[in-house]
Amino acid sequence: MIIALTIGVLVAGGTYLLMHRSLIRIAFGVGVLSHAVNLFILTAGVPVYRDEPIGDEMTASIAADPLPQAFVLTAIVITLALTVFLLAMAVIGRNDNTHRIPETGEEHDR
Amino acid sequence: MILVWLLAALALVPLISLPLTGRIGRRTGYPLGVVFLLIAAALVPTARDVVGGTPVTFSAPWVPSLGLELGLRLDGLSLVFIALALVIGALVFLYSPTYFQSGTQRGFYLIMSGFTFSMVAFVLSDDLVLMFLTWELTSLASFLLIARSGQAGEPASMRTMLMTFVGGLTLLAAVGLTIARTGTTDFSSAMASDVWQSDPAFTAVVAVLVAVAGFSKAAQFPFHIWLPDAMAASTPVSAYLHAAAVVKAGIYLLMRFTAIFHGVPIWTILLVGVGLFTTCLGAWFALQQTDLKKLMAYSTVSQLGLITATIGVGTEFAMAAAVIHTIAHAGFKSGLFMLMGIVDHQAGTRMIDRLPALRHAMPWTFAATAIGLASMAGIPPMLGFISKEKMFAAFLETPGPTFVPGLALGVAAFGAVLTFAYSGKILFGAFIDGDEPAPSVQEGSWLTIAPAALPIVIGLPLAFVVSVFEGPVLAAVRAVWPDYEGSVSFYLWHGVTVELVVTLGVFVAGTAIILRRARLRPIVEHPTFPKDGAAVLATVNRWLDRQGMRLVDLVRADYPSRHLGPMLVSLAVLIGVGSLGLWLVDEVAPLQSGLNRPVDLGILVIAVVGTLALCRTRSRIGGAVLLGGIGIAMTVQIFTLGAADVGLTQLLVEVLTVIVIMLVLRKLPLEFSDGIHPKNRRNAVIAVGAGVAAALASFTLIGRRERSAVADYYVENAPEVTGGDNIVNVILVEFRALDTFGELVVLGMAGIAIMAVLATIPRRFLDPRPDPSPESPATYVPPPVVELDAKGTRAYQALEDTRANTEALRLLQKPLVPVLIGISAVLFWRGHNAPGGGFIAALVAACAVAYVYMAKTADAPVSRPRTPVFLIAGGVLTALAAGFLGYTSGQFLEPLYGYLGPIGLYSSMLFDVGVYTAVLGLVMVAFNVLGTPSDEGQEPDSAAATDEEVARR
Repeated sequence: MIIALTIGVLVAGGTYLLMHRSLIRIAFGVGVLSHAVNLFILTAGVPVYRDEPIGDEMTASIAADPLPQAFVLTAIVITLALTVFLLAMAVIGRNDNTHRIPETGEEHDR
Repeated sequence: MILVWLLAALALVPLISLPLTGRIGRRTGYPLGVVFLLIAAALVPTARDVVGGTPVTFSAPWVPSLGLELGLRLDGLSLVFIALALVIGALVFLYSPTYFQSGTQRGFYLIMSGFTFSMVAFVLSDDLVLMFLTWELTSLASFLLIARSGQAGEPASMRTMLMTFVGGLTLLAAVGLTIARTGTTDFSSAMASDVWQSDPAFTAVVAVLVAVAGFSKAAQFPFHIWLPDAMAASTPVSAYLHAAAVVKAGIYLLMRFTAIFHGVPIWTILLVGVGLFTTCLGAWFALQQTDLKKLMAYSTVSQLGLITATIGVGTEFAMAAAVIHTIAHAGFKSGLFMLMGIVDHQAGTRMIDRLPALRHAMPWTFAATAIGLASMAGIPPMLGFISKEKMFAAFLETPGPTFVPGLALGVAAFGAVLTFAYSGKILFGAFIDGDEPAPSVQEGSWLTIAPAALPIVIGLPLAFVVSVFEGPVLAAVRAVWPDYEGSVSFYLWHGVTVELVVTLGVFVAGTAIILRRARLRPIVEHPTFPKDGAAVLATVNRWLDRQGMRLVDLVRADYPSRHLGPMLVSLAVLIGVGSLGLWLVDEVAPLQSGLNRPVDLGILVIAVVGTLALCRTRSRIGGAVLLGGIGIAMTVQIFTLGAADVGLTQLLVEVLTVIVIMLVLRKLPLEFSDGIHPKNRRNAVIAVGAGVAAALASFTLIGRRERSAVADYYVENAPEVTGGDNIVNVILVEFRALDTFGELVVLGMAGIAIMAVLATIPRRFLDPRPDPSPESPATYVPPPVVELDAKGTRAYQALEDTRANTEALRLLQKPLVPVLIGISAVLFWRGHNAPGGGFIAALVAACAVAYVYMAKTADAPVSRPRTPVFLIAGGVLTALAAGFLGYTSGQFLEPLYGYLGPIGLYSSMLFDVGVYTAVLGLVMVAFNVLGTPSDEGQEPDSAAATDEEVARR
């Protein structure tokens, strides 16, 4: 199964990027990793069935499983929200190195 | 039913206090005080019945699935505490308007009346869970009232909360254990359970937990430190909460549970031991104070200790003594607190060594204080004398070896000597000793003195008709011992008894101390211990902080590799080893035929190349491009899997993501830096391991079965059930709309969170220039030098002149944006039957927003700062409204269908509108916040406020 290899490659790349210090790279890693997870969920619907599940156009016997598609659709939009959030955090401070907590003017101890 | 009305009336008071403070400002205390008195008066007929021996109960289902009842019960004991809460509360409210010199005191009245509600609800609750909840409410009110009293109040309120929440936790544990063992949350039936007799060990554990809870609230050692600390709050708060109400909640709890614990040795030892120790400790600390308010606070600690110890004796007689002293103490102590507030106000200080002799300047305050102090010192004919005599007599009943009663009485008497002495110290220190005051020091207004003196002065005639207390106190004792057949009697004179002799001894010793006050004061008035309780608590706190940080270091979220490494490795091991295991036990079904398509291979190649390049590139922009490339490949893969909606979404998200990344990259160095110690090799090993495990798991688990039954159901039935042909979309908005609703909220919150986080960071920290010099070469990358042709050439214009290089975009904007909006509308409309729907339509509209942003000649927000917030909130609310609409035909989010002429309408369309607006809001946040110089695109006033705040600190 070829898609299994694709998933493996994406997981490896995403994991590698996640372990970096740069928050931008981490955001990239989240993106790549989410591709892998989305593919995994989509193919759980068994990629033998690849016809679009649309009532009046499909051939019911080879229509794809619509449930994983619905899951993945919401997952993609949530990934967008998460990515935007990470990117917003990355602009705080002089750079996006996560090992240096940017000054925020906040006092931590009283 | 009367109980529900009582609580409803009390719950209404905070609500009416809000408009009232707007109208008449701090004079709100007068109407509120009158309302409390009216409520108390309305309760009198019911109170008669209760004293007559018939408790009033009420019960309604609360959370039926958990067996929770909203059980209320008004018996003799609750009645005493409700009366105190209402009457003392009313007096404090009447006192407050003249005490406060400025401000509307809106928060004060709101929280104070809210507190009265929670206190009354607490003593009324006949359900263990309700009891715990209202107990915590009183703690919260106390915390809020201390916290709102300025700078000094903040740390004090935190310490108070820590202390009282320790008690809250032990009460929760006790409540949980009781519910688990007795199988009921109903207080009365739980108390009647025979578990308490049959399992002494369990009973002892719960007894200790309840005792600790009671100690924390009633300021018993070692929790006594919060009460002096709480004196940071204003005088009305101290007079009400910290003399009459919140501390008495602890006393109430101990009295309530005496019903089952009175024979338990550990309970008796704890209450009598800690109570007596606290009474002496508190009295000794009180004697040391020169600050009148602190002195009063320690005196309260001491008096509460005496009451606690008396409860611990555990006989009916002792209970009667404890109840009558609770009443007496609430009266004289709240009155004294308010009088000390007047002294503080008029003389400008409450330090004894600075106060002049005020007896001539403030005769009425002097007289009322003297009567109150006489009650506190237990001098006849005051109510305090009667109650203290009773308690002394009660100590003679202390269970245990023969020496115990005498010892208990002796210790209590020692505490009483100190009490006598510090009472004298207040009187002489504030009113008799010292210089003549300046002529400017005058008597306070009648409006303050009357409510302050009333609870004290009322104790004087009541002492002569003390028998009026016999009925209520008997009812209170019977609330704990329903079978008690004896009687309760109070007399001013009951012959020469042991306790009278002891009292006389106390007077002699106390007088002797007062007479030598000039010589004793310098010896006494310095701290016994080098550190006070607050300092000890602060040390403990710091130590805990450090230990906590050490734990946190193990999984610090700001070290992603340290934080994520263990998780990713364990996940990889889990799925890798698990999949191998399946192969080993030969549980793997054969692969279906026809899983692969040629196009899959092409996508694999793109994924490999793209991912490798993305991992290796040092250029941020290169990375963004590669990520976009991988995303497009994924889009194709998704389309080939027959997921048109998903593919469209992915494509649009990919476009928007790349644009947002570019916005961010402008503010960051050009290249990634790995810092000083890159651990790339280790990371690569982990990454490859995770990839192999993931691939193995995918290969093992996927494509080895037929299409699932659920899928068959959707494919066969969804179009008929919903009337929509696009099955994925009807799953999103109808079958599993609750999931989508949750997702919508997550989206919205991400947008709000971005705005919130960035708005709290002052501008100068938010977006400083990248490290300015080669001093930090690890992170600094100089901008590239681009050789340009001369000014005016096209090459120059294209790179340097924003007007010129956005010309094409601006030209296209006029036709393109309406087209995009039209496409968005069409996609939205047809979503039910063909690829499209709220998400996709919103993303297309978001592309229009992005286009408008990019066509501008300068970085400018795409909307007003508040617009995205309204969009997000509007979207969530619209979806919620669509959900509630579903209730008309059964349940939340139940889809409804109808026709408007020939056009079919669905309630899920309304839901989709919610999805649409929320997604659009999120994207707008991204452009507003990330696409503008950081001093625009967010609320200017909030940023300014934070700057000011920082400057103030």
